[in-house]
Amino acid sequence: MATQTAAAVDPAPIKNSNAKLQEAISGWGFMLPAFLILFVFMILPLFVAGYFSLTDWNGRRPLTNPDAFEMVGMENYQTLLLSGRRVDDFYNALKNTVYYVAGVVPAQTAIALVLAVIVNQRWLKGRGFFRTAFYFPSITSSIVVSMIFLFLFSNTGPVNGALRAIFPSYQDVSWLTDNNGLVHNFFGLFGMTARNAPAFLTDTEIFRISLWDWISGPSVAMFTIMMLAIWTTIGTMMVVYLAALQNIPSQVYEAAAVDGATQTQIFRRITLPLLRPTTFFVVTLGLIGTFQVFDQVYMLRDEQTRESTMTVAYLVYDTAFNLADPRMGLAAATALTLFAIIFVATIVQRRLVGGDRPADE
Amino acid sequence: MRKVFVLALALVMAIGMSGLVAAQDAVTLQVWTGSSSDAENAAKEAQIAAFEEANPNIDVELLISPDYGTQIQASFASGDYPDVFTVGQFEFPSLLDSGVLASGEGYIENPEGVYPSLLSAFSSEGTAYCVPKDFSTLALFYNTDLFDAAGVEYPTADWTWEDMYAAAEAIANSDAVADGVTGFSAGADRNRWLGLLYANGADIAGEDGLSTVNSPEAVAAIEFYSSFVANGVGARPSDLEGSGWNGEAFGRGLAAMTIEGNWAIGYLQNDFPELNWAVAETPVSPSGERGTLTFTECWAVGANSEHPEEAWALVNFLTGEEGALTVATSGFGVMPARPSAAQAWLDTRGQEFEPFVSGADYAVAPVFPLGYGDFTTAFDEGTNAVLAGEQTPQEFLDEVAEIWNEITAENM
Repeated sequence: MATQTAAAVDPAPIKNSNAKLQEAISGWGFMLPAFLILFVFMILPLFVAGYFSLTDWNGRRPLTNPDAFEMVGMENYQTLLLSGRRVDDFYNALKNTVYYVAGVVPAQTAIALVLAVIVNQRWLKGRGFFRTAFYFPSITSSIVVSMIFLFLFSNTGPVNGALRAIFPSYQDVSWLTDNNGLVHNFFGLFGMTARNAPAFLTDTEIFRISLWDWISGPSVAMFTIMMLAIWTTIGTMMVVYLAALQNIPSQVYEAAAVDGATQTQIFRRITLPLLRPTTFFVVTLGLIGTFQVFDQVYMLRDEQTRESTMTVAYLVYDTAFNLADPRMGLAAATALTLFAIIFVATIVQRRLVGGDRPADE
Repeated sequence: MRKVFVLALALVMAIGMSGLVAAQDAVTLQVWTGSSSDAENAAKEAQIAAFEEANPNIDVELLISPDYGTQIQASFASGDYPDVFTVGQFEFPSLLDSGVLASGEGYIENPEGVYPSLLSAFSSEGTAYCVPKDFSTLALFYNTDLFDAAGVEYPTADWTWEDMYAAAEAIANSDAVADGVTGFSAGADRNRWLGLLYANGADIAGEDGLSTVNSPEAVAAIEFYSSFVANGVGARPSDLEGSGWNGEAFGRGLAAMTIEGNWAIGYLQNDFPELNWAVAETPVSPSGERGTLTFTECWAVGANSEHPEEAWALVNFLTGEEGALTVATSGFGVMPARPSAAQAWLDTRGQEFEPFVSGADYAVAPVFPLGYGDFTTAFDEGTNAVLAGEQTPQEFLDEVAEIWNEITAENM
């Protein structure tokens, strides 16, 4: 627009290219700080990680030494994904992560939407208080929240105490150290355990993990971490939904009301479709955030739950900073694999929710 | 004007020169260590201050890091790492392999005065790379009230595994002991039960590099340790009202015995002052030997330090006879690495803790060689599985022995 105006005022070609140049300079100038930060802290490390994933560097040998590492080609990926002794570590972490994502993302999206609709009601007294209260966990440091959960869910903590008070026959649950899978526990109600499960479940092994273990569901300890994650993220998601709800023109609702639509119909046929781009955004953020879950796991896990709360992002840390035997190359390969998984998951999700299309077309 | 300029120039030069002169005799050492208890951090700071006082030409910049492992690993990677730093026994093999540790050959003063089992944990092919500063061992903790209530004799010097099992059984089944209180708290941790393996004359691998971890003696050790849980006369701490570790289960009076290290002394005294307890050396195995584990940390000098003389002087100051005495009398849990200071530690902590000191004579540092990380992982998972009753001791040890041999074959 600006160039056209300049050209119209002064048709001289030299002037024109000057203006273009100046515009380009100022454009790049404005972008430069953000670009530099992105480049140095995001793009460059990605490529460096890609490079190190092809080496056997242990993360300790000084890089100033000429023999700090050797190129090993695709060996780390081979070790991780196909044939190594660590294959079951990786797929176990992947299994835990998928259960985590599958539990947290739908729950946090649905609860955030419900909360947003509630605090958007005009008749609700003290809306400001509720909005603040629901948002509060999101702005609190995840480390602090994790420590509060450690206290609440400890064996002698308030959660077990409250449950015991309400249900006298309640047996204390080790919320933080119980490795039993939720699905396994559910089967257990009908008397099916690892000992008497069908042979095809216990004997079929995929990537050194038996089918029975694949369908374990998240462990009780992992479930506690999932509750923590849901509780801390719904606030942010709620604010996003709230902004979108307030953007829906009231005429649409009035028209629906004139046409005699019920509240349920209005919600299902008008509110939800108009929120579709927001849902895409919330689910995308949720997917990326949950696939990378680290800090809550770091805080809440225990040596006893090493296997059942191991997530892929934690495996990266555990491999890179292992006390006795750190393997930075393998850790970088794990991180890049996680990147690929998130990338694919986001594309699939985009196909399903279709966030780029305006809602009602 | 010109005069002023010349004067100013002269002044600048004079200041510059004096700076040069000062820089010539003042050596700055970067010293890093991990943060532990406030008392221990304060003791480290006091030791460094004393060293600076005794050596006015050496300036020490001390960093006590709360996230030491990650921070020092990053500094190694960059090639710009401290002159002097602490190293734990578990990361020693990898650091040695990474070439960041300077050899102590000819620098370490009076290495004969250090417990040999500790110095050997930081040595390779006869050369020591790092000087132990302190250590801990495991011993048998027992609850005297529970022993009295069940009418069981206290552990004696010639207590065997069988005696220990019988005592646990008697206490667990005694009517005088509350329900839910068990005989022995068996933490699902290789760094507790491996002492029994070594006591029974077993080892992880033989001279030829092949694993001997599934030998009958080793199987007997884990069978003994897990039999408490399997037969209901002992339990894992997590099954004792969800205790976090042996010390908590024992402190809460839920287990009559446990095997723990001297770090539990202060914990029990502070958190459970009402508890009546004592310690004994670990019982004698069927092979007629005792066994315990040792956990130690040392001071090392960085391989690229520009001031090795001064750096080793500091290490010798921190770990010598006097340094050991300081550790002994500072009053935190760990024991000094030199026998000469053992009595001082006992005087500070109490004579009744002698079993920890005696353990140093036969203790083993449970460190696996570099490259056996997958073995370690499998070992830990197997230990968990055996104590949970999901795997038999023989299956577990056969499986990890196979992994060990696989790794050995790959490395040859």
